[in-house]
Amino acid sequence: MDQLQHQNRVTFPGLDSDQGSVRGQVERKSSMANQTVKPKIVERDEIVRVSNLGKSFGTHKVLEGINLTVRSGEVLAIIGPSGSGKSTLLRCLNQLEPQTEGIITLAGITLDAAKPASKKQLNDLRRAAGMVFQSFNLFPHLTVLQNVSLPQQRVLGRTKADADTRSRALLERVGLANKADHYPVRCSGGQQQRIAIARALALDPKIMLFDEPTSALDPELGLEVLAVMKELAEAGMTMIVVTHEMHFAETVSNRVMIMADGRVLEEGPSASVMRDPQTERAKRFLQAVRNR
Amino acid sequence: MNAETFLIILSGIPWTIAITVGAFTMGALLGIPLCAMRVSKSGILRYMATMIILILRSIPPIVWLFFLYFGIGSGYLQVGPIESSIIALGLITSANLAEIYRGALKSIHVGQWEASHALNMPRWSIFKDIMVPQLVRVILPSATSYMIGLLKDSAIASTVGVTEVAFQANFVSRRQFQGLEVFAVAGLFYILISLPIAAIARYTDGVMRAKVAR
Repeated sequence: MDQLQHQNRVTFPGLDSDQGSVRGQVERKSSMANQTVKPKIVERDEIVRVSNLGKSFGTHKVLEGINLTVRSGEVLAIIGPSGSGKSTLLRCLNQLEPQTEGIITLAGITLDAAKPASKKQLNDLRRAAGMVFQSFNLFPHLTVLQNVSLPQQRVLGRTKADADTRSRALLERVGLANKADHYPVRCSGGQQQRIAIARALALDPKIMLFDEPTSALDPELGLEVLAVMKELAEAGMTMIVVTHEMHFAETVSNRVMIMADGRVLEEGPSASVMRDPQTERAKRFLQAVRNR
Repeated sequence: MNAETFLIILSGIPWTIAITVGAFTMGALLGIPLCAMRVSKSGILRYMATMIILILRSIPPIVWLFFLYFGIGSGYLQVGPIESSIIALGLITSANLAEIYRGALKSIHVGQWEASHALNMPRWSIFKDIMVPQLVRVILPSATSYMIGLLKDSAIASTVGVTEVAFQANFVSRRQFQGLEVFAVAGLFYILISLPIAAIARYTDGVMRAKVAR
């Protein structure tokens, strides 16, 4: 992963550097490269809290008894076998799938399964959470620039000129300034996913949700997306990443959560969870993915 | 076959076009609420739309026309031959276009909706900026071939006395006791009108395809 950093260096100066500076030595180096400011230790606020979350489709239980907290600036990787409910959990967080049990608090908005979310709550929630999908979901009839620019104009009310300027800067940072006037079909999968990341970032989210962002990409193209995500993490963005990329989970994320059959198997600091899983099921899963 | 015959048939063209365009416009507009009902969350609305579409499409155009013109037109309301023709064909068109719209809606990947919602785009913007442009691309080819079909169906208006191309051809052929050339000319006119429709459709489709070819 380290060589990735050089391959595709990007920075996100829009992000609060205070958040980033508390994470650790590696990132302190990167965000402080041109500054001599001493890193401040700040209290990291809780940005996501999930209590006793459950989700059923009809009689089929997909998630049960999920508890989770994420602090500002943290990167949480959610791993586990297919069908374990990882993606559903992520989709509950921005209410693409409303949960059927439990409470979600995200960026101060509390959603209880017992009462339907109001339009305002949904707006605030989705404003705070940016999402990146496995299948990119760029708008095929809009150019790359328009893909990043239009949501800013419609959602935040930015002028076209302002939104375009910001979009170009973001595209520059994900290494795709030269693609601005192309249509998404003319871009590789890895490029499309980086555009999707820029599109979500353009709305200034407080937290980014990644739903298997590299699963639809061949390994090489996946790397360029992971490099962008790593830079984003180092710049202090709070991220929840559902992934099959074990190396990313181990090295970039602070914490790892292993899920199976709709439940949390283990959760904790990434190094300890990845190297020393406690449950039999988690051991089996990690062994299986490592031996691939 | 003389110039006068030719001109008489030619004089039918405005009515042929008026009925085609009128019925298509009516159908294209009415098709929207019909399609909305057809894909609605409410079971009753869905059922109603399905029945309306079934009835509209199962009955031949000429029966609809006679029903309107001789049925409703003679007793209850004042409905002229042109209005009857436009309404009859327009109703059938609305059912067919509603189904074409529905197919197009289905063809849009669910990820487009999810991305729009996740980005928090306002409803009208999702409709106007994201969905309509993609829908138009899918709808255009089927809608234009339907329109060319409608152009030919407009000939049934001759049966209630609208002086369009088929009516004029029939009129001339009876008067002059000659059918072959007269109807050949009428046929040629139909071809000539449909050619630009097809050409415009192919051109716009080509432009859109070049942009967003998948």
